Amino acid sequence: MFEQLNEIEVRPRVPEGDSLVAVSVRQLSLGYRDNPKALKDISVDIPERAVTAIIGASGCGKSTLLRCMNRMNDLIDGVQYSGEVILDGLNILNPDTNVTALRRRVGMVFQRPNPFPKTVFENVAYGLKLSGGASTRELEEQVEQALRAAALWDEVKDRLDDSALKLSQGQQQRLVIARALALEPQVLLLDEPASSLDPTSTFRIEELIYELKQSHTIIIVTHNMQQAARVSDCTAFMHGGQLVEFGQTETIFTFPAKRETEDYITGRYG
Amino acid sequence: MGSNATIRRRRLSSSRYERIRSLAMIGLSASMVSTVLLIGSGLFVLLVASAGDWLFLSSGRLDEGVLDRLNDVFFAKPNLENGLTGLFPAIVGTFSLVMVMTLFVAPLGVATAIYLTEYARDTWYTKLIRISITNLAGVPAIIYGVFGLGFFVYGLGGQVDALFYAKRLPSPTFGTPGLLWAALTLALVNLPVVIVAVTEGLDALPNDLREASIALGATKSETVFNAVMPAALPSVFSGLILATARAAGEVSPLLLVGAVKFSPSLPLASRAPFIEFEQKFMHLGFQLFDAALFARLPPGGLGWVACIALILVLLIGVLNLIAVSLRTAILKRKTFENPF
Amino acid sequence: MNDYSNQRGHISAQFSRELEGVQSELLNMGGLVQSQIEKAVDATLEGDSLLAEEAIDLDTEVNALERSIDEQCARILALRQPAAGDLRLVLAVIKVTTDLERIGDEAVKIGRQAILLSEGGAHDETGIKVRSIAMRVNTMLKAALDSFARLHTEGALSVILTDDDIDEAYLDAREWLVEFVEDQPETLRASMAYLWILKSLERVGDHAANIAEQVIYLTRGLDVRHLDSAKVRDLVS
Repeated sequence: MFEQLNEIEVRPRVPEGDSLVAVSVRQLSLGYRDNPKALKDISVDIPERAVTAIIGASGCGKSTLLRCMNRMNDLIDGVQYSGEVILDGLNILNPDTNVTALRRRVGMVFQRPNPFPKTVFENVAYGLKLSGGASTRELEEQVEQALRAAALWDEVKDRLDDSALKLSQGQQQRLVIARALALEPQVLLLDEPASSLDPTSTFRIEELIYELKQSHTIIIVTHNMQQAARVSDCTAFMHGGQLVEFGQTETIFTFPAKRETEDYITGRYG
Repeated sequence: MGSNATIRRRRLSSSRYERIRSLAMIGLSASMVSTVLLIGSGLFVLLVASAGDWLFLSSGRLDEGVLDRLNDVFFAKPNLENGLTGLFPAIVGTFSLVMVMTLFVAPLGVATAIYLTEYARDTWYTKLIRISITNLAGVPAIIYGVFGLGFFVYGLGGQVDALFYAKRLPSPTFGTPGLLWAALTLALVNLPVVIVAVTEGLDALPNDLREASIALGATKSETVFNAVMPAALPSVFSGLILATARAAGEVSPLLLVGAVKFSPSLPLASRAPFIEFEQKFMHLGFQLFDAALFARLPPGGLGWVACIALILVLLIGVLNLIAVSLRTAILKRKTFENPF
Repeated sequence: MNDYSNQRGHISAQFSRELEGVQSELLNMGGLVQSQIEKAVDATLEGDSLLAEEAIDLDTEVNALERSIDEQCARILALRQPAAGDLRLVLAVIKVTTDLERIGDEAVKIGRQAILLSEGGAHDETGIKVRSIAMRVNTMLKAALDSFARLHTEGALSVILTDDDIDEAYLDAREWLVEFVEDQPETLRASMAYLWILKSLERVGDHAANIAEQVIYLTRGLDVRHLDSAKVRDLVS
């Protein structure tokens, strides 16, 4: 965590303004039928309004960790977990937590774009309509705002009533991001958001992430190390369900503290 | 140069046996498909020819005009001697039967399918239920007829009579075969079909869809209602179309639970609920059955049977057309992409 | 601690070979400039102008090597996007080629002065001082290159600490030379030549220390340039 950094740093660093912690994970362990030790005793503090990348080989538990943040792991049959995940002072792993409210504050974007087979407008308005009560006028405004935030408005403003499935892959992924943004979440979880996209779309998404981090806390899981390096402020390296190292991305990629991290990042892994 | 040619040749003729086998497969499937098509179209042509013969050419009827003949086909009064009768009541009866059956089978079938796919946990119990449903689809329809007779007609019907129509006893109102019990029985016959069709449709939906909805803060029910169901509508319609065809053509259960050869009145009423549920009714399939096996038809009467069959086929065609247009209209309006 | 070491190969053997290639070429360059310095100093002490010419001629090869190594490094950066230790290696190599090339230039300067001295005016007492400093600088350079080859942090640290001594020795020698010239003003021209040579040697020492600093950056990720030696010792231990 942050203590390691201070030992190594020699050059004066540009001070990050007041890094508050958005999500605090404390001794989180998780298991399910097929994998009883999917996560082992993980503790990490995710900084607010910054991009944190989680990297590691396949099966190391990065997606599982991500999904703990919005309790999506509850969908797995027979899942059990211990430890705490603290958001705004509350432990969201508590059985009393209002899970649907949580998922509005912690939005998620998946690996393959998965828009509903509805119109563009209805996709973005989906979450808004669930909470109900908004007039059509308000809905239209919120949808436009979300699409603008996802850098998609100009491309779809004349096609709001077209099927969402007619958009290109890159556009669909941005649509899905708009859909999540419409609920104005505090935290945005991105699970390999660009892995099914072509390089240009990938860069667009990365630009988008860069803009979004000014107002949202972003946690991104990626198996593309260069992307993690380009896009994130902090990086967490996981291996075998454990958190091996966590620190500023610059440090992780120039001088990681652990041998395993170095091996993975430089391609000596395996 | 020589070695390249050898390599290519070797790849293509990987095994003479395999080539013969794939050619045989293709040939077999092609001939099977063409045979089926030939037989099907052949039968249809035969049907039309027979019906046409009855309508226009049968001896002894040349003094009547074609229009009179057509009028007879639909509206003639029942002739108790030779079993001929106007088919219009049968058409109405078949149609009402299908409508009422759909009213029962659609919500029940869809709800069951949704429950099994979305809500039920994957235990041995639910597996058992699924297997049973599939098995039920193969049970001969006459058995449903027997069940319908015992449970609906005498069981439920008897109770309803005792409770609400006691004054009319011993003459039964609902305690006897009628439209309602026939519709319910057919609903049971078709329930497995609809459930299986809708289940397939739901299973085919990618899990992404549900996850996306849940991640946006929807509850399970909201997800099913807003995301899953709309996407599964095409399969719902497919299931209903199958059910429709079966309802129009399935005869054996109806023998026991409601269809009659001649009915004095249509099962319709002029005031709500516009359908007389306790009435017996005429049914095209039933007419066909009866005419083919029991009636003492006049010479050339086989053409009459062909007429009934033709009208039945056309009616099924019309019902299907209605269902398909309905499906297209709904899908167009919501601008879906039809996965089927 | 995650000290950089060369022991584990990459999944891409090609990449491993490229990194090894650049390292060994750098060490070749180091060997070349080492012999440049030795030749130039021997030329001074023995008054052998031919030897001096040899030292000067070697510089062409040294410059060519600098260009070649830098090009290979640019290629590795562009195509391989190295990270962590590998990145530090490439960055260190680029810096070290500059220092080596400068050492070569100093050798050339020493050679030129040696040629001047060989034409007349050499004196043994100053020669002794030059030899002493030259030997220590040579050892420094050798140790610096060695610590790079073996990625040996402690070795690099001792090189950095030695530089202070060299600086001191240079200042002493300069003082001595000033007095020498005051005593025997006719030796001014020759003494100036010796002064340039001593200055060059001192610079070589500085470059050797720079190389050692890059070694520490490579193995420990610490940038210890422009820090005084006491601080460096604290950081590295």
